[in-house]
Amino acid sequence: MTDRPGATSRRLRVVAPIVGIVVFLAVWEAFVQLRDVRPFVLTAPSDILGYLGKAPGDFFAASLITTRHALVGFVAALIVALLLGSVLVASPFAERATQPVLVLIQVAPFVAYISSIVLWLGAGDPPAYFTTGLVCLPAFVFAAVSGMRSADPASRELFASVDASRWEVMWRLRLPSSMPSLFTTARYSIGLALIVSYLVEGSNFSDEGLGAIGKRAAASNVGDALWATVFCMVILGTLGLGLITLLERWLLHWHASQRTV
Amino acid sequence: MSVAVELRGVSKSFGDLPVVQRLDLDIEAGAFVSLVGPSGCGKSTLLRMIAGLEDPTAGTVTIGGASPAELRRTKRLAVVPQQPGLLPWRTVAENARLLLEVNRRHQPADHPDPLELLDEVGLIDFLGAYPHELSGGMRQRVALVRGFALGAPLVLMDEPFAALDEITRSEMRDLLARLLERHPATVVFVTHSISEAAFLSDRVLVFSPRPAGVAADVTVALPRPRPPELEDTTAFVEVCAELRHRLHGAMYGATS
Ligand SMILES: Nc1ncnc2c1ncn2[C@@H]1O[C@H](COP(=O)(O)OP(=O)(O)OP(=O)(O)O)[C@@H](O)[C@H]1O
Ligand SMILES: [Mg+2]
Repeated sequence: MTDRPGATSRRLRVVAPIVGIVVFLAVWEAFVQLRDVRPFVLTAPSDILGYLGKAPGDFFAASLITTRHALVGFVAALIVALLLGSVLVASPFAERATQPVLVLIQVAPFVAYISSIVLWLGAGDPPAYFTTGLVCLPAFVFAAVSGMRSADPASRELFASVDASRWEVMWRLRLPSSMPSLFTTARYSIGLALIVSYLVEGSNFSDEGLGAIGKRAAASNVGDALWATVFCMVILGTLGLGLITLLERWLLHWHASQRTV
Repeated sequence: MSVAVELRGVSKSFGDLPVVQRLDLDIEAGAFVSLVGPSGCGKSTLLRMIAGLEDPTAGTVTIGGASPAELRRTKRLAVVPQQPGLLPWRTVAENARLLLEVNRRHQPADHPDPLELLDEVGLIDFLGAYPHELSGGMRQRVALVRGFALGAPLVLMDEPFAALDEITRSEMRDLLARLLERHPATVVFVTHSISEAAFLSDRVLVFSPRPAGVAADVTVALPRPRPPELEDTTAFVEVCAELRHRLHGAMYGATS
């Protein structure tokens, strides 16, 4: 009785994504081969893998750097959002006051101001961390506030009935209540963090990370190299999502979203 | 160990809507008092004022000589809500001791062990289960245990069994009666069930429609302890009949 649902969910979790990837790559390969597309427009998966195989170390090192940029920015955004969110739930005034700024950050095209941030913070890692964190922040703040607000009113009364402190209500009730919405946002933000890091790496004068390779390749019309960085990004994004899914299973096992059917 | 509750000239309005008007009420220490009355008459509001979760517009609530705020601060007041309000990320055992874990500065001196209480209500095999793995009745039992774990001298319950089916409901009622024999407290209990009120109470207060006032104060002179079979006795049926009659009177303004 216990192993059948387990087997089903393993098939769902492992086999289904692999099937999806293989089919996608096959269609891609066939499209490029049959239509004879130019490499810079779209490179066939087989050629990308061939190119990656020539200098795996370089791409691996660059991927690690991009991962570091994305992860630091992502985690910083999450931490700031939790701190800010816990202040904003307590004060509707502060929430209203912050909202326009957050929307501004969210809709301002970061590509347009990356060079300003690089000029401000200098070359290298700092602008990558900062921009990534900044762009990821608004969605996390919105998720934190609405999640903390969603704490069950019956439970809130219960905490009030024993005079629980603000801190206890936050830590034992509001924070766990905000986890489902934070995870939903994290799934979306992990990809965003990678993209922002990639783009900053293309303009932070440090020649490090996948973004730097991509930028160079684009400047000299080297389709293989450009698409190889895209390929690495896809892998990083997939790993990031996988990691979040694992964390979710562990931290959110009690939530309805974690039950199949 | 239980406390008396004293209401003096308590009124409450929400905006222009008077919900409770100049209510004087004495609840003796150790009594089980039920509040019945038409829907929307202000029973929950009254209970929340006794708990200090809502401030009266006028008048005072005193519990064993102290204010509701003081009782909440020292964790000498237990609330059992209509919805169990269990935290879904906590197991049964963790939910049962939730109230002991917050506001630790005021740990009640000799509170019952939550695990023993869980055993008493038949949940000892479910300590590690999560709320979503429990039936509605089991969840409400955890909520009862969570309240009783404080060993509070005053327990306030707002229709705690309203969401349950008839059979589970009477089981819970018997369970509550047994828990109270072992862990006595003053209880204020809101219910819509006449037979529940008759079975559990020493005294039933029948409220008139909003603004709430006491239309009838019925003493239930049935002997204790009260076993489930009590329900089949003529004495019990008579109490129920009287309560029904009083409630009808309160609602439609016939006899008083
Ligand atoms: N926070 C509030 N704001 C405004 N009006 C309220 C509020 N709480 C209760 N009321 C009003 O007060 C009246 C009494 O509500 P209350 O919940 O105390 O009734 P009740 O006797 O518990 O009803 P029921 O038996 O249906 O639970 C209702 O008319 C309700 O609309
Ligand atoms: Mg009510």
